[in-house]
Amino acid sequence: MTIAWSQTVPYLVVLPLAGAALVPIVARRDARAAGGFTFVVTLVTAALAIALTVRLVVEGPLTAHVGGWVAPYGIELRFDRLGAWTAPLAVFFVLVVPFAWRYLEGTVPRDRWAAFYALMLLNLGGLIGFSLTADLFNLFLAMEVVSLSSYALVAVAGRGTAAWAALKYLLLGSVSSLLVLFAVALLFALTGSLNLPDVAARLAAAEPSPAATLALASLAVAFAVKAALFPLHVWLPDAHAIAPSPVSAVLSGLVVKIGIVGLVRVMELAASSGIALDLFGELLMVLGAVAIVMGAFLAIFQDDIKLMLAYSTISNIGYIVLGLGLGAPFAVAGALVHVVNHALIKVTLFLAAGSIIHQTGLRTLTDLRGVGRTLPQTCAAMTLGAIAIVGLPPTAGFISKWYIGLGAFSAGRVAYGFALVFGALFVFIYYVRMLNAFYFRTPTREEVAAAVEPPWSMRGPVLFLAAACVIVGLLGGFLLAFIMPAVGDLLPAIRS
Amino acid sequence: MRWLGLALVVVAAATLMLGVADLPPHGAHDAPVHTHVGARYLERGVAETGMRNLVTAVLLVYRGFDTFLEVVVIFSALVAVVALPRGRAARSRDGDDQPPAALLTREGPAQERISVSPVVAFVVQLLGPFIAVFALASLYRGHVSPGGGFQSAAIFGALFIALALVQGRERAARLVPRGARVWLQALGPLSFALIGGVGWVLTGAFLGYPAEAAAYALREAMVVAVEIGIAVGGAVILAQLFMAMEG
Repeated sequence: MTIAWSQTVPYLVVLPLAGAALVPIVARRDARAAGGFTFVVTLVTAALAIALTVRLVVEGPLTAHVGGWVAPYGIELRFDRLGAWTAPLAVFFVLVVPFAWRYLEGTVPRDRWAAFYALMLLNLGGLIGFSLTADLFNLFLAMEVVSLSSYALVAVAGRGTAAWAALKYLLLGSVSSLLVLFAVALLFALTGSLNLPDVAARLAAAEPSPAATLALASLAVAFAVKAALFPLHVWLPDAHAIAPSPVSAVLSGLVVKIGIVGLVRVMELAASSGIALDLFGELLMVLGAVAIVMGAFLAIFQDDIKLMLAYSTISNIGYIVLGLGLGAPFAVAGALVHVVNHALIKVTLFLAAGSIIHQTGLRTLTDLRGVGRTLPQTCAAMTLGAIAIVGLPPTAGFISKWYIGLGAFSAGRVAYGFALVFGALFVFIYYVRMLNAFYFRTPTREEVAAAVEPPWSMRGPVLFLAAACVIVGLLGGFLLAFIMPAVGDLLPAIRS
Repeated sequence: MRWLGLALVVVAAATLMLGVADLPPHGAHDAPVHTHVGARYLERGVAETGMRNLVTAVLLVYRGFDTFLEVVVIFSALVAVVALPRGRAARSRDGDDQPPAALLTREGPAQERISVSPVVAFVVQLLGPFIAVFALASLYRGHVSPGGGFQSAAIFGALFIALALVQGRERAARLVPRGARVWLQALGPLSFALIGGVGWVLTGAFLGYPAEAAAYALREAMVVAVEIGIAVGGAVILAQLFMAMEG
C-alpha cells in the first residue's frame, strides 16, 4: 500500500496533542522521563513536517480531507507554502525541549514538570493546527488550545507576579478569542459554511453586507491582540518576561505568530470575497511603523534583559505587519520570511538569556556586567542573536528587514522606510548597551565572576541556534524563493 | 478613564449589535445556514455516513476533527489547572488528605459531616446509582438517540461532585483511584488518536469510518469507543477540576 502523503497531514496536529495526553502517564514513574518523551514526540513531529515540506516542493500543496469528507462538508487541512512554516516551528520545539530539561531544575517544582511538558506539546499541536486548518471553527479551537496552554505556561513557575501576568494575558486573550468566535458565527450565519475558501466564494457571490465587513474587522482586531500589535500589546512584556525562559522563547518567537497567520488569513478572505477593508493596509502600515519605533524605544530603557527582549518582539511584529500592509511583493515576502527569521532569532536570544539567568541567578544588565568573560560561549551566542535582530548582514535578520525596507522604498512609502531605519537604530543602541555591559565592564557581582557555562543540554541548542542565525542569513535567498509563489496570492488583498 | 472605558464599551457593543442586525432573520427557512452545508447533511447525512443519528454524523464523522480538538481543549483546561501554583488555602490545608474546610460549612473541618442535612445526603446517595445508570445509558445509546459522550461526562461529573459534597472529598476521590487517573483523563484525546488511526488504515483518511452498509457493526464499535473516551475522560477531568478547587 502506498501512503498518500496528504493524508498524513492531520498527524502533524494529532501526534503532539495525543503525546501531551500521554505525558502525565510517562511522568508517573519519573518526572525526567516526561522530558525525554516530549523530546521524542517533537522530533517525530518535526521529521514529518520536514518530509511534508519536501513533498510540497516536489508535488505542490498537500490537502488532507479529514475523515475523507471534501470541503465544505468536512474539515480540510492544507499544507501549502505558508503552512510549511510549521516545519521550522516544530524544529524550534525540538531545540527548546532539551533546553528545558535542566532549566526546570530549580525553577519549576518537580510535581509540575509533567504539566509543563504536556502544555508544551499542547502548544505545539495547537500552533500547527492553527497554521494548517482551512476551517473557521477548527481555527478557533486550535487557537484556544494554543491560548490555554500559553496562559498556564506563563504561570507555571509561579513566582511573584507570574500569576498576575498570566491573568492579564488571559483576560486580553479571552476578549480576542470571543471576537474570533463572534466573527465565525457571523460568517457562518451569512454563508452557511465554515470552510475558508467556500466562505469567501459565497461572500463574493452575495450582496455586500455590513455584517461581513464587521466579521473581518473583528477577526483583524482579535488577531492583532494575539500578535501583540501596537496598541494591543500591553499584555506581552510582563507575560513574556516573567515566564520561564524556554516558555518565553516559545511565546515570543512562535505563539505571537498565530496573530500574523490569522491576519494573513483575514487578508486572503478579504481578497477572495471582494470585501474591501477600507484603509486596512494603511492601518497596518501605521500601526506597524509605530510598533517598530515604540517597541525599540521602550526596549532601550529596560534593565531586565528578558523585558528588553519582550519589547523587541513588539518592535519585530511591527516589521512584519508593516511589510504585510505595504503590499509590495518584496515587502510581503520579506514579512513572511521575517515570521520565521524572527522566530529563530528570538528563540536564540531567549534561550541564551535564559542560560545566563540560570547560571548566575541575575537578570538585569547592571548585575550582569562582565558576564561575557565567565560565560564566553553563551554570550557569543547572545551576541550573534543580537547582531541578527539588529539586521546586520550576513545574519538571518538582515534579509527579511532588507526586503521589507526595499518594499517600502519601492512602493514610494519613504516615511515607512525611515521608520524602519530608525527602529533599527534604536535596536542597535540597546544591543550595544547589552554588549557593553557583557564585555566591557568589570563584574560587580560575585555570582557573575563565579558563573560557569551551562550543561550541554542547554548550551547545545543555544549554540546550534546561534549558528543557524548566520547560516539562515547566508542562505536567505532560499527562504525568499520558497515563499515567493505564495506572495502572489496574497497581493490582491492588500491592494484593495 | 472610567468614562473612556464606558464609552468604548458602548461604541463596541453598538457596532457588534448593528452587525448582528444585518444577519438573516432568526429561523428564516431560506437562510444560508439551512440551505448550504446543513441542507446536504440533512439530505444525505444518514446514507453517506452510515450513522443512524444525524447529530452523531456531524459531531463525529463530518466534523470529527473539531470534536477531537474540543476534547483536547478540555484536557488542556485540566493540565492548565494542575500547572498553576496552589493557592494559600490549599497550602495551609497541607495536602489532599485534609477535608476541605470552608466548602461545606463556614465553621471548620470538624463539623463538616454534620452540617450536611442527613435527608439531602440520603437522597443523593439513594439517587446515585440511578444517575450513574442514566449516564451510562446516554453514553451507550448516545450515538443513536439523544445523549452522547459529552452529556454522559457531564452527568458522571455532576454525580461525582454531588457525592463529594455529601460524603467528603477524600471518600469521593476513592471512586477514581490515583493510579488510574492519569490514564482515564487522557482517554478523550487518545481514543480519537487511536480510532482516527484505525480509520486511516481502513479508509485511507484520518478519522474516516468505513461507510459500507455491511460494516455497520465495525462503525458502531468505533463510534462507541470514541464516545467512551469522551465520556470517561471528560468525567474524570471534571472530577479532578472539582478536586483542585479550594474550599
